[in-house]
Amino acid sequence: MPRLLSTKTVPYLLLAPSLIVLLSLVLYPMGFALINSFRFWNLQTSPTPVSFVGFDNYKMVFTTTPFLAALKNTVVLSVLATCAQFCLGMGIALLLYTNLRGMSVVRALLIMPVSVAPIVVGFLFRYLFAPEGGLLIWLLKGVGFPVPPQGMLGNANTALLSIGMADTWEWTPFFAIVLYAALLNSPQEIIDAARSDGANKLSMLWYIFLPMVKPIAAFLIMIRFMQLFNSFDLVYVLTGGGPGTASRTLSFNLYQEGLVNYNIGLTAAMTWIIVIIVAVIINIYTMVVFRGQEW
Amino acid sequence: MRTTTRQKIFIYLLIALTLVVFVGPILWFVMLAFRAPGDTYSNPPTFFFKPTFESFYVTFINPGNNAAQLRNSLIVSTRTIMLSLPFSLAAAYSLSRYRIRAKRFVMMWYIGLWMAPPIVFIIPYFILMTWIGWAGSYQAMIVLLQTITIPFSIWLLKSFLDEMPFELEEAALVDGASRLQAFVRITLPLALPGIIVTSIFAFVFSWNNVLFPLVLSKQATATLPVGAISFFASTGIYWNQIAATAVVTMLPPMVIFLVLGRYVVRGLTFGAVKG
Repeated sequence: MPRLLSTKTVPYLLLAPSLIVLLSLVLYPMGFALINSFRFWNLQTSPTPVSFVGFDNYKMVFTTTPFLAALKNTVVLSVLATCAQFCLGMGIALLLYTNLRGMSVVRALLIMPVSVAPIVVGFLFRYLFAPEGGLLIWLLKGVGFPVPPQGMLGNANTALLSIGMADTWEWTPFFAIVLYAALLNSPQEIIDAARSDGANKLSMLWYIFLPMVKPIAAFLIMIRFMQLFNSFDLVYVLTGGGPGTASRTLSFNLYQEGLVNYNIGLTAAMTWIIVIIVAVIINIYTMVVFRGQEW
Repeated sequence: MRTTTRQKIFIYLLIALTLVVFVGPILWFVMLAFRAPGDTYSNPPTFFFKPTFESFYVTFINPGNNAAQLRNSLIVSTRTIMLSLPFSLAAAYSLSRYRIRAKRFVMMWYIGLWMAPPIVFIIPYFILMTWIGWAGSYQAMIVLLQTITIPFSIWLLKSFLDEMPFELEEAALVDGASRLQAFVRITLPLALPGIIVTSIFAFVFSWNNVLFPLVLSKQATATLPVGAISFFASTGIYWNQIAATAVVTMLPPMVIFLVLGRYVVRGLTFGAVKG
């Protein structure tokens, strides 16, 4: 140990390249956005920034784009889909944890959806949700779900729900296999002791299983919440943010303003608003999730 | 736990339902790729049909517009991991083996960056790449993908290195080896499985990424997911061909994940859960 620690500069020299590369990859767009957020610049009319406009772009984020609606959609989608995925995943993990014959095969098969690119999940669900002849529409109608005439993706009340369903399909197995691994890694004596003391199923779940998986669950929920908060791929393929702005997320709103309307100044201002929101959430999360962690 | 036969039947029914829900749609989509062009939908759905390779033939052989995209996907993903591995390995070794000030902060920053919305990076780079003449090049995508693969690889590699006994390296140092020799002869061979697993995951992340190629590629450098998207742009949606391209897109990651088995848990949790 002492010899390796003797040189003070080596560890920092090893760390520096990755930090420099990543810092410059991040600082450039952030700086670019900061400068241009105070300028009027539409790429369709001018290849370079036009004029200084003060805080106008920041005001226009709220007045000319459906920013608050997108924020609401993003929060609703992230919270509900993360909850659904955790609850369903925990349920499946407990089913696997019965360790009946064949569960290892089931666990292996459940990895399949997780490997699929989100964009492909988008195609898959667009096919399943096809208004005429989509398998999922056929099934939903079969069980009496009131499928709107425009289809699930074309209706303002069900578009966001459909995106949530597609994401939940892909990532519930992720929760299931990781939480199952967490259960297997937990001390079995505690579980056996609680069982022999005659604890019922509900109190087993509440006092034994959930506390055991809590650190892992917190980590998973953090990753998934943020990925959902950044949702773009599924929105792009499934609904294009529509109908109207019913399923527009923050990321899709930024894409629409920047790479469809080419309104660079406005997009830059929106970038900074989103970065601040995301930074606050990530900071709170990492403080909670990694509290007391030894590095 | 003692389970009665009735409980067992109930559990197996739930498991069967779970598999139908989570694996069924994949099979349904694969079936679509093998259906004849006219046989996209039917009401009620049909499960039996005469399979045909026609969609794959059209997308990958003649005219085979997607064959070049398959090659592009391979090029971009492979070069991405080749670029990120040296950076990540050096950083992970440093974070695992040395006492570093602000280690906590650095680790938090890496994962925080991984969780940041990629869309906020892309627009300034879209403009920059045009200015420096990299628009539509492989490099543009490869450089941007580093924001995803480097942070991830550092976390996962560090978890593998943390597990390796430090005493072996120490012994080599006591025997007079230099730090570099100890790393090359002792650490590297032992860490090789971890390095391979990390690279494979980074490969899958680049392979599955769509936002960066969507914005930064041109027709000649487009990757497979972008190729599949382009079917939507034309008049009408050619579902069978989308499915054929999508099946080829999802196959490599799926095979990789099924083969890696228990490593998947570890990879997808950045090494936080040993699996």
